[in-house]
Amino acid sequence: MTAIVNQETARAPANVDAEAKRATNRRAAWSRFMPPLALFVGVVVAWEAVSRIFRLPEFVLPAPTAIVEVLIAHQASLAYAAFVTSQEVLWGFLLSAVIGAGVALVIARFAAFGRALYPLVVLFQNVPKVALAPLFILWFGFDLAPKVVLIVVIAFFPVAINMLVGLQTVDANLVALMRSVGASRNEILMRIQIPNSLPYLMAGLKVAVTLAVIGAIVGEFAGAQAGLGYMIQFASTQMQTSLVFAALVEVSVLGMLFYYVIEWIEGRYIDWMPAVA
Amino acid sequence: MTVSPGSATQPHILARGVCVDFTLAGRVHRVLHDVSLSVPKGGFVSLIGPSGCGKSTLLKVLAGLLAPTAGDVSVAGVTPIEAVRQRRIGIVFQEATLLPWKNALDNVALLMEVAHGRRSSDEIRGRAADMLRLVGLEHAAEKRPAQLSGGMRQRVSIARALALDPEVLMMDEPFGALDAITREEMSAFLLEIWQRTKKTIVLVTHSIDEAAFLSRKVNVMAANPGRIIEATPIDLPYPRNEESYAAPEFARATARLRRLLKEGHREAVAMSAAEPPQGARPLLEEGESTAQRAATGEVSQ
Repeated sequence: MTAIVNQETARAPANVDAEAKRATNRRAAWSRFMPPLALFVGVVVAWEAVSRIFRLPEFVLPAPTAIVEVLIAHQASLAYAAFVTSQEVLWGFLLSAVIGAGVALVIARFAAFGRALYPLVVLFQNVPKVALAPLFILWFGFDLAPKVVLIVVIAFFPVAINMLVGLQTVDANLVALMRSVGASRNEILMRIQIPNSLPYLMAGLKVAVTLAVIGAIVGEFAGAQAGLGYMIQFASTQMQTSLVFAALVEVSVLGMLFYYVIEWIEGRYIDWMPAVA
Repeated sequence: MTVSPGSATQPHILARGVCVDFTLAGRVHRVLHDVSLSVPKGGFVSLIGPSGCGKSTLLKVLAGLLAPTAGDVSVAGVTPIEAVRQRRIGIVFQEATLLPWKNALDNVALLMEVAHGRRSSDEIRGRAADMLRLVGLEHAAEKRPAQLSGGMRQRVSIARALALDPEVLMMDEPFGALDAITREEMSAFLLEIWQRTKKTIVLVTHSIDEAAFLSRKVNVMAANPGRIIEATPIDLPYPRNEESYAAPEFARATARLRRLLKEGHREAVAMSAAEPPQGARPLLEEGESTAQRAATGEVSQ
């Protein structure tokens, strides 16, 4: 598993004139956002054209304009559903982050216990966790709890594995230097291993947050009374395909928001490249 | 200004009959065989030799990072591990091994903070600033490693090693990753540091010019098994500078080192040709080792 290295975090030379730098940033932002935006608009236009030309029935494939109409008409119920799902994603993701990081720290710090735990974590990762969703409903009810649990079992793994890689790829010579001045294992962990693992942890969190959204939707499929996943399931049984797509749009936007919040935090606080060992 | 091995002063670093064996896939390989050397206090000694001659392994043994299979080592009258514990040994590696998230000053302060068991203090920061000034980087205190050149990073690494005021500086190919021009600059810089701080320095290098320019004595090593074939004194007066490269003594010294390295290499090739086809050389029988030592005319110090 490789960590994602964010090129944008590389610093520009300090002596560049501020005004020129702002202009450069504007150009960079433009050339960054323009291509994906153009592609997106192109796909939407083509979709609209296809559904109009072939007169596809709305319950098979609604046109983008039809989806937008539904988005507006049902905005209150969609907003509530999005709020419910966001809560599940948020709590599930936060718990995944804490548990994933905790598992990584335990494996890295307590080598013997880590050797026992690691294969079990890998084994557990290979259980099809979607199949556990009905069990969680049975155990934890129809509300927030079963979705959060499902998200955690799906999303903690990439956090744990990425952070573990970051904790373990420290320079052996640096560790030898630390030991030579009497550093304890905890000091080496706190001063070297944990800071070193942060860029890797962020890469794991980005994977985890997208899995968290999937986990929330699957959890709602298995049994829920609200949320975007519940709405998708409900609408599809009613052949309200436009509403299915409207809910999907909200799910996608939600996932993107969570993803870019993490990327923003990364860019703000992790402003160094991982040392390549 | 040469220091004869038989001088009355107690050697600062002394190794006698050091052997190191590694076991790989059930076979024992002798990496270092019967190595002896001595370095006087304030001396500057290099270890030079081809890849695989065990020069870095020998440095690790002297620096207390690796226990020898056989033989005795003392640094400042104690074992290397004890010397490390007493912070008498500073180490510089080929890579600067700095923390990318800390600036130059904090990197220099790192080992001091750990050694003194506290996060930071004015005393530690003051000392770190002094060390940066010593290596000519006082202007770069706030810069992160990514903003420094390779040579500057290595200066920070040297400042970090000097910060705990060790008596001995062990350097493992410290300029090996730098370009030729920066290397020469760093050599001159290291001589200056050595003369100002009076540290005992052991330097591992694969550059003949670097070894001859810097050292009082160069231990020439050969591979298969790793051993010292000669401790060559460099009769070139200090202070040395760019003109020293043109001195006849320098030319004589580098010519001798070059010849020794070639001989050592030819021997090693001849020996590996006589080996069984499995590759690396197995542990020598006692009788064989004595015979082979006689054959190579190994120079003891």
